[in-house]
Amino acid sequence: MSFQLLLAALVAGSVYALVALGLNLIYGTMRLLNVAHGEFVMIGAYVAYWGISLWSLSPLLAAPVAIVLTAGLGALIYYSIFRRAMRSPAFVERIEANSLLVFFGVSIILQNVTALVFTANLRGYRYDDELVSFGGASLPVNKIMVLVTAGLVCIASVIFFARSILGLAIKALIQQREAAALVGIPVARIDLISFCIGFGVAGFAGVLVSMTEQISPFMGFPFTITAFVVIIIGGLGNVLGSLLGGLLLGVLETFGVAFTGPSYRSIMIYGVFIGVLLLRPQGLFGPGRART
Amino acid sequence: MTLLSIDGVIRRFRGVVALDGVSFSVEEGQIAGIMGANGAGKTTLFSIIAGNLRPHAGQIIFAGRRIDGLRPDKISRGGIARTFQIVRPFGNMTVLENVTLGVLYGRRRERSVAAAEARARNILERMGLADRAERLASELTLAGRKRLEIARGLATEPRLLMLDEVLAGLTPPEVTDAIDLIRKLHQRDSLTILMIEHVTRTLMALCQRIVVLHHGKKIAEGSPAEVVRDPQTVSAYLGVTQS
Amino acid sequence: MNRELGVSLGGVTLAAVAAATLPFIGNDYFVGIGFTLLTWIALTEAWMLISGMAGYVSLGHVAFVGIGAYVAALSWQVLPVWGILLTAGIAAGTLALLVGYPCLRVRGPYFVILTFGLSELLKFVVVNIESALVVSGRVLFGAPEIQNLFYMMLGLAWVSLSVALIVRRSRFGAGLRAIRENEEAAETIGIAASWFKLAAFALSAIVPGMVGALIAMRISYFEPLDFFSPRTSLLIVTMAVVGGSDKPLGPLLGVVFLVLLQELLWANLPQLYMIIVGVLLIGVVVWIPEGIFGGLQRLTARGTR
Repeated sequence: MSFQLLLAALVAGSVYALVALGLNLIYGTMRLLNVAHGEFVMIGAYVAYWGISLWSLSPLLAAPVAIVLTAGLGALIYYSIFRRAMRSPAFVERIEANSLLVFFGVSIILQNVTALVFTANLRGYRYDDELVSFGGASLPVNKIMVLVTAGLVCIASVIFFARSILGLAIKALIQQREAAALVGIPVARIDLISFCIGFGVAGFAGVLVSMTEQISPFMGFPFTITAFVVIIIGGLGNVLGSLLGGLLLGVLETFGVAFTGPSYRSIMIYGVFIGVLLLRPQGLFGPGRART
Repeated sequence: MTLLSIDGVIRRFRGVVALDGVSFSVEEGQIAGIMGANGAGKTTLFSIIAGNLRPHAGQIIFAGRRIDGLRPDKISRGGIARTFQIVRPFGNMTVLENVTLGVLYGRRRERSVAAAEARARNILERMGLADRAERLASELTLAGRKRLEIARGLATEPRLLMLDEVLAGLTPPEVTDAIDLIRKLHQRDSLTILMIEHVTRTLMALCQRIVVLHHGKKIAEGSPAEVVRDPQTVSAYLGVTQS
Repeated sequence: MNRELGVSLGGVTLAAVAAATLPFIGNDYFVGIGFTLLTWIALTEAWMLISGMAGYVSLGHVAFVGIGAYVAALSWQVLPVWGILLTAGIAAGTLALLVGYPCLRVRGPYFVILTFGLSELLKFVVVNIESALVVSGRVLFGAPEIQNLFYMMLGLAWVSLSVALIVRRSRFGAGLRAIRENEEAAETIGIAASWFKLAAFALSAIVPGMVGALIAMRISYFEPLDFFSPRTSLLIVTMAVVGGSDKPLGPLLGVVFLVLLQELLWANLPQLYMIIVGVLLIGVVVWIPEGIFGGLQRLTARGTR
């Protein structure tokens, strides 16, 4: 029984890790509190849904489309809103608070545009949901696919951030923004790339989620919350940390719900969220960062 | 009488020992100075005295009462005012409002906003800020903001005024004005002053007593003349050993 | 009390007296709109105490509205109406005190998302309580007429706005603003920041609690998902930010604008309304951070403040 739960936890956790990875990039590099992150997961989910409903496109083939769409949307937001906003010193002074409100606006717009166009009804599709049994547990194929795909992407990202020049540049930007500029890292370009990768990964996670869950225009918020929890637990900018944090959260949530009941899922997620924020009142910054 | 007494204060920051058992005392009515290279622990010491940080060991006694570990607002009401190395004015409030706040919440605990404003205007007069009373604090020059920070501290009617590098970043004429101001404050208000400064000559000119910190330890203490001849001070600052 | 404050309070009272004639000259529909306007005025002005003045922006204020509504639903026909209002306010204030103590230590934007998380948590807790009690929605039979509710809400709006005006000019308000500008410096000159924030937070909760009770009576129905909806918190923030969250009179502009917009759009295109809200929020934060009120002040200023 608990092997079954563990597998379910890993599936959930791998998705959380992926979503958190995207948020890590956006928040880490530019300190923008992206509370609309879950909405990009939602967009990815809808792309996959329409892909299979209209053109019988397998979700894995719809994934590149979703990624391009969400990354493109991210670039659009970056250029139209934040490039302009960051030029105003008043905005930058309270950039976290301001970006939070801006992204809140973005999330409201995305949710309601989707609801307006596609109605607020829950939608879902069946895909590869035959059960497979092994080791005393049985899991639908789609969940196994989610686990494997998310797992591969996570591993790839760890390697990417540890080895590639771009990955190292992004990590440098996260850790010491001003110093990174001084050593010649093209900050504006890396900002844009981080934005695109961050939102693209969210879109990809959305495709995965759509394979196993029903979707709705308002499905995004819990993913935003869990993403924040994960990067607080795992540490800002710490790729491996947020991967492990995602898995940990998946375990906590799955086993917690198993013991208490599905209606407690939200209570637990928000409970962990609040607990983590209260225990780290100084927020996500490491030492050496000036605060007013 | 001894107004402030620091005894064996230790403070760490994640493995770095910022203050390693520092002890000294300041007599009432003195102008005392703290000298030391960057990173010597001077501002950390100020923050601990003022209550913004807690010491990991040691005691701080002010006017006969232990104050280490108390909240900053309690310490302020006890009679200690401090300025910050990087000034922290209430930027979106006027100069007058900044100082009025000091009167409202300082030792006097003035209840009436109008009465506090009147007192604040007096202080602005004495500090040479009256002409800028209605300007936003964020609009002042650096020298103005430093002056404002002192004025705001004064408004709390302290017995001890702690100045953290108030001369840094000022032009030579501004420095002369500031030194003048500090002297006047010391004489007219019989304030005890504890100041951190980099510029050794200023400390020599103003202070009756100087403490030298180096890597969190006190390496010398005494009158300006004594401290300047002290071999440890010399080697710490100039890097040479003198026989 | 100085002259400026006296003038402001006088003006507000006159406006309230004028508004009191609405039930006599307008039909139920207009009284309803008036009720809605007053509701949001009461909410935003209360919110201003902690978010505008102290700078701790709350995105979870609907929690207090919801608690007040829940109190009303639970004590319906057990307590008289004024008793319900009183209890609702006390319940909301108590919640703020309990929750505020640990939460106000969290600084800046983390406080914002923390308040959001808390109100969501409370929502799901109440949902679970209600389903454990096997209750799906509570009806409040025999609620007061819209005219009476209007007057009660008028009273709350008047109180809320007056308190905001008074606090802003008071010693307490000056302390709050100092905390907003630079909390560490404020503590250094003798302001006990923790107590100030807690007091402001609790004060900011009382009126919303009572407002929640009145809304429950107006709709005659309580359902946790409606009354704890984060959309309410978002609208409070947007109205205040759009109007201008620096001075007490600012939110009024935002309230009027958004309520009228809501009347136009909500029945047929609620999503469009929310999209416009989102666009407004982004636009104001990026381009007119001091809000419409602040922008107007800036345009009409003649040199000195």
